Amino acid sequence: MANIDLNEMLDKVRNSQWALADIDWDKPGADRISAEQWPKLKDFMSDLMWIEHVGARGFAALSKNAEDPTLKEIYAYFHAEEQRHANAEMALMRRWGMLDGDDLPQPNVNLRLTIEWLDRYSDDMPLEVLGSVIPMLEIALDGALLKFLLEEVDDPLCHEVFEKINADEARHLGVDFHVMEMLGKGRMHQRIIKTVGTVANPKLILGVLAYAPLLNRMRDNIVAMGLKEERLYEAMGKYERIGGRTDEGRRNPWFQIISRHGKMVVDRNHIYHKPVDALVKASNYIPTRLLGPVPTWVEKLTWRPTA
Amino acid sequence: MAVTDTETPIHRVLIVGAGFSGLGTALRLQQEGIDDIVILERASEIGGTWRDNTYPGAACDIPSNLYSFSFAQNPAWSRSYAGSNEIMEYIHWLADAYGLRRYIRFNQRVQGLSYDSEEGIWTATTEQGETVRARQAVMAQGPLSNPSYPNIPGLNDFQGRVVHSADWDHDYDFNGKRVAVIGTGASGVQIVPELAKQASKLRVFQRTPCWIMPRLDFRKPEWQKTLFNKVPSAQAAIRKGLFLAHESMATGIIWDTPVNNALERLARAHIRHQVKDRWLRRQVTPEFKLGCKRVLMSSDYYPALQQDNCELITWPIVAINENGIRTAEGIEHQFDCLVFATGFSVPKTGTPFPVYGENGRELGSEWEKGAQAYKSINVAGYPNLFMIFGPNSGPGHNSALVYIEAQIEYIVKSVTTLRSLGVKAMDVREDVQKRHNQHLQKRLARTTWNSGCNSWYLTEDGFNATMYPGFATQYARQMKQVRLEDYRLVSSTGQ
Repeated sequence: MANIDLNEMLDKVRNSQWALADIDWDKPGADRISAEQWPKLKDFMSDLMWIEHVGARGFAALSKNAEDPTLKEIYAYFHAEEQRHANAEMALMRRWGMLDGDDLPQPNVNLRLTIEWLDRYSDDMPLEVLGSVIPMLEIALDGALLKFLLEEVDDPLCHEVFEKINADEARHLGVDFHVMEMLGKGRMHQRIIKTVGTVANPKLILGVLAYAPLLNRMRDNIVAMGLKEERLYEAMGKYERIGGRTDEGRRNPWFQIISRHGKMVVDRNHIYHKPVDALVKASNYIPTRLLGPVPTWVEKLTWRPTA
Repeated sequence: MAVTDTETPIHRVLIVGAGFSGLGTALRLQQEGIDDIVILERASEIGGTWRDNTYPGAACDIPSNLYSFSFAQNPAWSRSYAGSNEIMEYIHWLADAYGLRRYIRFNQRVQGLSYDSEEGIWTATTEQGETVRARQAVMAQGPLSNPSYPNIPGLNDFQGRVVHSADWDHDYDFNGKRVAVIGTGASGVQIVPELAKQASKLRVFQRTPCWIMPRLDFRKPEWQKTLFNKVPSAQAAIRKGLFLAHESMATGIIWDTPVNNALERLARAHIRHQVKDRWLRRQVTPEFKLGCKRVLMSSDYYPALQQDNCELITWPIVAINENGIRTAEGIEHQFDCLVFATGFSVPKTGTPFPVYGENGRELGSEWEKGAQAYKSINVAGYPNLFMIFGPNSGPGHNSALVYIEAQIEYIVKSVTTLRSLGVKAMDVREDVQKRHNQHLQKRLARTTWNSGCNSWYLTEDGFNATMYPGFATQYARQMKQVRLEDYRLVSSTGQ
């Protein structure tokens, strides 16, 4: 069991807060982004920012569903912290001249579908589902994307910002895996019955239909920017290793489902990609105007340190 | 500790506090022919919580016809739910019409109360150096008398104006200002609609939303005032009707019943009707059972939140600095003024000032884990001491004045009984008090208040020392009779 005292963790989280105003966004170094790097970095940062923001909404749903009041509060902080990461990443994009005025970077259609799903259904998902999916996304973020970014970008401010973000993410991962193990406790047959019931939930099926193509599109975007696929393999391996290091962790059915799914995602030759890539293509034909305006929680994103 | 003093005159009754409770007690005692009364009031004005709560929009959540004394009705209420000004006018009228001001000593903050067992006398000393001795003492300082500030780092660093709902700054002009309201409880939901009319930017910081019911407030027609003036029984009948309507709410607010579910559905429908945005609806919808925290009444709070100049912020507050408030999403929200609508610090443990009973026992230390009393009014070991709004007398569904009135009547009966029996002291028996509290706590365990939310009703350990788990009718019935067998009576000879 990952021995985390949730009360101590909550204190640590409270004492580790930082703000965009703590950072000098006009510090020298912005010019270290090369002209060749710029367009790819712009797309990368945009995807990264959206992943953080979507993760934030996931934590909001976890906070709503957690029964333990301390865990509930920790998740409320994590919700805000992921939003802070997205805000800080937007501020970096602005520093590098990647924002069009005050406008948010445009989310791709798969992101839009995921945002819609999160807005409508994420609060109805049991803790087991989001509590096992979010660690996978975070480990990919922490283990692959952020490392890649810091290797590619010379701007010292970028390193300064991501040092803060990484410190937050390390705490998130600690709690994520602690909760995953908590979710593996209890009687096996009860967990299986509950899992089967959840898998058959139409809201979850819709979520999978939004999430699977999003992952594929993101993976393709990121790899196109130069990220080595091995990095993603390593991240998946880490998820499997840490999530499955105890009996409780391994007994969590959602850990089993998600780690298997993760392996399929990073294996380009897996048959899984046939239907999912088809979904990605099909989603290109969805007119985003039919989705209406983005939910108002998306509009809370800002690069401005003060309001 | 006991004070022996032979020079200070001994009064019949000493009352601490000149709010609704203190004045009501004096009024009723006076009607029973007891007028050797001293009221010690820490402020320079009467009115208690209504004197302090003068923020814009301050009003009572209980209809005025019910939020007033049955023995001193006001036929001229201008609205169904009176604002604080009108309630203050009523309190002033009480004091003037019944000649109560002569009992009051203003600007006297009590710093201690002690009982002399030998003489059967209570002595109050004040910070201003006054000493008052009396045979009976009534603690009517009220639970809602000390403003509470949240524990936020940097609270004193803010360079702009800081205002508390219980200590409003009427000289400050909010027009065109950037204002933060911290807290969305009873005072917050009343302040926000008013400030939204003035501030250029209003940000409302919410930690936990409350259930809010629509408030059916309307101006009272002139014919009704005339009718109540000419036929007081008509007003009494309306009051009875309102009382019974509120009593019926107990089944949905105090206990988890189908009525509770129906009320929760009504509150959800209120949100759906007034809030169009899904995310805002989510933010303002509580996750706890209706009744677990105080149910609020407002029809203009949700619309105010949706005004262009207004925004609800639910991110955790990290700190306050010289410019404003930093929240955990990394943004510094800058303001000209911070308004703390964070209510009062309600004592659930300890006492507002040291109270020494028989043999020097100290009430604060006895109440360290949570306050306990007999019928909320007496405590064993503290003879002739009475409390108004003592432990477990809070209502969640009905007018506080109904409970206060029952307590006042109990005090009047006790004081007259002591006089008629020629008894020096009455002290509730320890075993009776213990049994009473065991029974109360058993009943409280089944209420919505103990259903898992954090509220000011509970101590940090989850002990409920605040609320009465039943109908107001039940409470009033138990107060109807002073059961002498529940007390240890001490004669003038000390036996």
